[in-house]
Amino acid sequence: MKCELPHLRIGEYEAKIPIVQGGMSVGISLDNLASAVANEGGIGVIGAAGIGMMEPDFDTNFREANKRALKTVIRKTRSKTNGIVGVNIMVALTDFEELVETAIDEKADLLFLGAGLPLKVPIEEARKRSTAIVPIVSSAKAAKLVFDYWHRRYGDIPDGVVVEGPLAGGHLGFKKEQIERKEYQLERILPEVIKVVQCFEELYSRKIPVIAAGGIFTGMDIRKYIEMGAAGVQMASRFVATEECDASKEFKEMYVRCTKEDLIIIDSPVGLPGRAINNHFLEEVNKGTKKPFVCPWKCLRTCDVVNSPYCIGSALINAKNGMLNDGFAFAGANAYRIHSITTVKELMEELMEDYLSSSFCNPRSTSSNS
Amino acid sequence: MDRDEIFEKVRTIISEKLGVEEDEVTEESTLDEDLGADSLDLVDLTMAIEDEFGVRVEDEELEKIKTVGDVVNKLVSALGTEDEE
Ligand SMILES: Cc1cc2nc3c(=O)[nH]c(=O)nc-3n(C[C@H](O)[C@H](O)[C@H](O)COP(=O)(O)O)c2cc1C
Repeated sequence: MKCELPHLRIGEYEAKIPIVQGGMSVGISLDNLASAVANEGGIGVIGAAGIGMMEPDFDTNFREANKRALKTVIRKTRSKTNGIVGVNIMVALTDFEELVETAIDEKADLLFLGAGLPLKVPIEEARKRSTAIVPIVSSAKAAKLVFDYWHRRYGDIPDGVVVEGPLAGGHLGFKKEQIERKEYQLERILPEVIKVVQCFEELYSRKIPVIAAGGIFTGMDIRKYIEMGAAGVQMASRFVATEECDASKEFKEMYVRCTKEDLIIIDSPVGLPGRAINNHFLEEVNKGTKKPFVCPWKCLRTCDVVNSPYCIGSALINAKNGMLNDGFAFAGANAYRIHSITTVKELMEELMEDYLSSSFCNPRSTSSNS
Repeated sequence: MDRDEIFEKVRTIISEKLGVEEDEVTEESTLDEDLGADSLDLVDLTMAIEDEFGVRVEDEELEKIKTVGDVVNKLVSALGTEDEE
């Protein structure tokens, strides 16, 4: 029974492999990584925040540059794959609405919306263009709010939901003191979110896939969450250490080299804690050394441009480009278990094999329960 | 409904949603600092208030609300209470 990986259905899209490659900004998951994952049967996701950084007018015409670049990257991704392509857009971005519109115009298959509650979303447009919408939440409470709000305001509900636990990389939807506590771990919050979503599934007679994320590393991990009721998983850190990942070599090497102790929690100017790989830059920030900057963008609604100790936009752009003395890399809590750079194909094969190789499923197994 | 009645109802909702004692809730209390509401609580509160009073609070208005008194003021004008008196 159930020896094969289940497909992941979100709205009208069906992925053969139930793995979503988590969207990674700034510039970490673009057309290369997203198309490679989609080509292997997973869902490839473009990280939209700061996507205009390579445009010549990024500093002078930030919003236009982002829109233009997002358009280009979606088209490039499409030209490399016929698979399922999503876009991750942070709600906290000042140009959130514009990026959502652009992604829908470009007929992205899915939008993953996190770092804030995705309440205001142009649902009608999305439905017309067959763009499915998937909020990212870190608690049953947030899931309930988003579904309730949509239900009341739009008479509609999201097409799926990602539950991101506290082992994830990047910004975390938890207070610092919650991160290590048992009751906030993915194993605990996943069933709670599933329960919330079930009420709405019944109300709308629609299946709403719940996707587990944060710290998922092996095929066994994937199996564990699927057995708990998840329809699939979202993984990000492992996809950084692939040749196809759009980050610089230096960025990927940070992942290969880092130790467990290097993975620390920082205060991000986004107003949320974040998990990143410690380095000289972050040590200085931690010491209270301010890195003065002039903000050309105001990219985040929540950034206190005057008092922020550094500019997270510039720091992440530098990191993406390999200048890690002037930036830092976000990473999940299990990134220290990565020891080499592989390809997306090899990684996905490894995950599938591992998923299937429990004694119950493995045909080669000599145990009696086959 | 007069202003006091509105305040009483708002106070009950806030104390339920945020798990604070009713006497801790005054018109001067700030929702975030004094009463400990996070951004999720604010959306939750708004929806409860919309239900109770049959009004609709736009998100732009929500961003301007700091204190319990602000909420009451918004409701007073939304419900046209002053005109009735
Ligand atoms: C470098 C990096 C950048 C990320 N950027 C984003 C982002 O822009 N938006 C978002 O919603 N999540 C972002 N995340 C979170 C991932 O999409 C994913 O949910 C999380 O990292 C999963 O945990 P894992 O890395 O342990 O697999 C980022 C994560 C990393 C490591």
